[in-house]
Amino acid sequence: MRKKETTSQKAIPQQVAWAAPVLGLVLLLLLPVFARYNDYVLQVFTHALLLATLALAWNILGVSGSISLGHAAFFGAGAYTSALLSLDLGVSPWATIPLGGVLAAGIAAIMGLFCLRLRGAYFALATLAFVEIPKVITDNWDGLTRGSLGLVGLPGLPSLRLGSYHFDMSGSLVGSYYFVLGYGLVLLVLVTILFRSNLGLALQALREEEVAAEAIGIQVQKYRLLSLLLSAFFTGITGACYGHLIRYLEPGLVYGLHFSAIPMIFAICGGRFTILGPALAALVLYPVDQFIFHPLLPAGHEFLYGAVIILAILFMPSGVWGQLRKGHFVSIKTGSIE
Amino acid sequence: MWTTVLVSGITLGSFYTLVALGFALIFGVTHTFNLAHGELLVLAGYVAYWLWKTYGISLLFTFPAAILATLVVCLILQRLFSRLREPMEMNSIVLSFGLAILLQNGMLFFFSGDYRLIRVPTFNQGLHFNTLYLSYGQLTLLALSLLVIGLLYLLMRHTFLGKALRATIQDREAAALAGINVGGMGVLAFAIGAILIGLAGPLYGCVHYLYPTAGLQATLLAITITIFAGVGRIRTLILGGWILGFAESCAVVLLGTSWRELVGAVMLITLLALRPQGIFEREQ
Repeated sequence: MRKKETTSQKAIPQQVAWAAPVLGLVLLLLLPVFARYNDYVLQVFTHALLLATLALAWNILGVSGSISLGHAAFFGAGAYTSALLSLDLGVSPWATIPLGGVLAAGIAAIMGLFCLRLRGAYFALATLAFVEIPKVITDNWDGLTRGSLGLVGLPGLPSLRLGSYHFDMSGSLVGSYYFVLGYGLVLLVLVTILFRSNLGLALQALREEEVAAEAIGIQVQKYRLLSLLLSAFFTGITGACYGHLIRYLEPGLVYGLHFSAIPMIFAICGGRFTILGPALAALVLYPVDQFIFHPLLPAGHEFLYGAVIILAILFMPSGVWGQLRKGHFVSIKTGSIE
Repeated sequence: MWTTVLVSGITLGSFYTLVALGFALIFGVTHTFNLAHGELLVLAGYVAYWLWKTYGISLLFTFPAAILATLVVCLILQRLFSRLREPMEMNSIVLSFGLAILLQNGMLFFFSGDYRLIRVPTFNQGLHFNTLYLSYGQLTLLALSLLVIGLLYLLMRHTFLGKALRATIQDREAAALAGINVGGMGVLAFAIGAILIGLAGPLYGCVHYLYPTAGLQATLLAITITIFAGVGRIRTLILGGWILGFAESCAVVLLGTSWRELVGAVMLITLLALRPQGIFEREQ
């Protein structure tokens, strides 16, 4: 017998819900000042921000109630497209990064063709299998992708010049940090607009009750495809940025299960139906992993992600931020996941 | 050459069926997906490897320890699954995915990321029939797989317990009305599933390299064969295993070993896109 849900937990007041992220943002903006002499801290937070953008992008699809286990396909496609165009053709990364997003969206269109008719668990299984396709092709197309040897010596992000001010994004850690932070903020604003637009409302409606949504005239398949394409586009861009930041790619790395699992875990732990939740989870969990568990347990420290997702799905399916913001975002039907 | 492909396809396919059996049984009875299936298989393989390597225990005697390990994890997983809220299928995927990550990292911690293989010297010798060559390893794999599948078939078709399990697979509510303890059948399915994984794991360690993230391939092939067969059909499971094994053997011969991984994925996506209810299942 399951205990009845008690409403012991109250949502946090609106002011706190605004103040906490703003405070977080101020801390993030000032982080390079605090951590001026510590490269490691900057590196960890740069990567945490990148993973936050990954989780935000994943959640564009996640908010519609679908769970994807295959976002590494888009991440890897974006990374490889941008890397190869800039490496072989000498195109500036500023142009190739969006192209990475476009190719990722193209792959999502193919995936959508096969998978979008599926619902729930079957969609998740199909996406899990789908990653193998771009992965094996990248691994074997030696002439184009150099196969399993991977790509080394990727060009970094070119520096920006504003008048006399020189903003170096790949040479200095601070530059990379602010670049990823800037991208994260832009994506956050876009996701906020998106969630409040007709598209976002339609996605939330079809998540709650697909048949009812269709009955009131929402073109369910069109909106699901759109959310998949947008999600893949931004995942591709994140992948491309990742490539130019670490300047080394390998099929097993960017198409690995890691980049499919991480955004799902952050989104569900943070709160799938919230805007901020996935990004907050990334900014908390990744540094905890790197600063606490990695030194303690060099091999196997990522068990943390397995543990938190199990705990979240059992005890807090609407995610930590979703729980705190109860009533604002949580599913009206069941108060639980999907 | 094609007889070799056919024979290796059937050997591989029979073993794949054995690998998929535990997954299919758990899915059929409890309607939950165990994405940690491959990791459990690799765990059983590692237990056998560890006993074989450090204590020199022969492969045959490592099975009980491997079964014990998978049994413990599977019963814990069953307890966790029983606390899940609806929708079960989706939430079981997320939960078992978390367990898969836990197991991967646990195995990385205990066995390191090195590639391991259980080497049985006699497995590399073999028999020649005209142009056909069969290694003892292949023969053992084929014989053991078919033996276990046959035993499970007998259990399911000719015992009262099997009848109760099949009834639960076919219609949970009707089975409960007929006085079958559906919850108990779930526990039983996990236990039998664990035994099947524990039997397949050490064999897996003889034919494939073991490393902490090796499980995904096995999970995918178990899903593929299960979806192919629909639920609760052992004979269709074997057919699915053989088709997958044969397709992989063909891919290895025609395209090269590196394309093998694609076969299962393409087969699964095609199946899901065209007939998610299984090949021989009628539309409701």
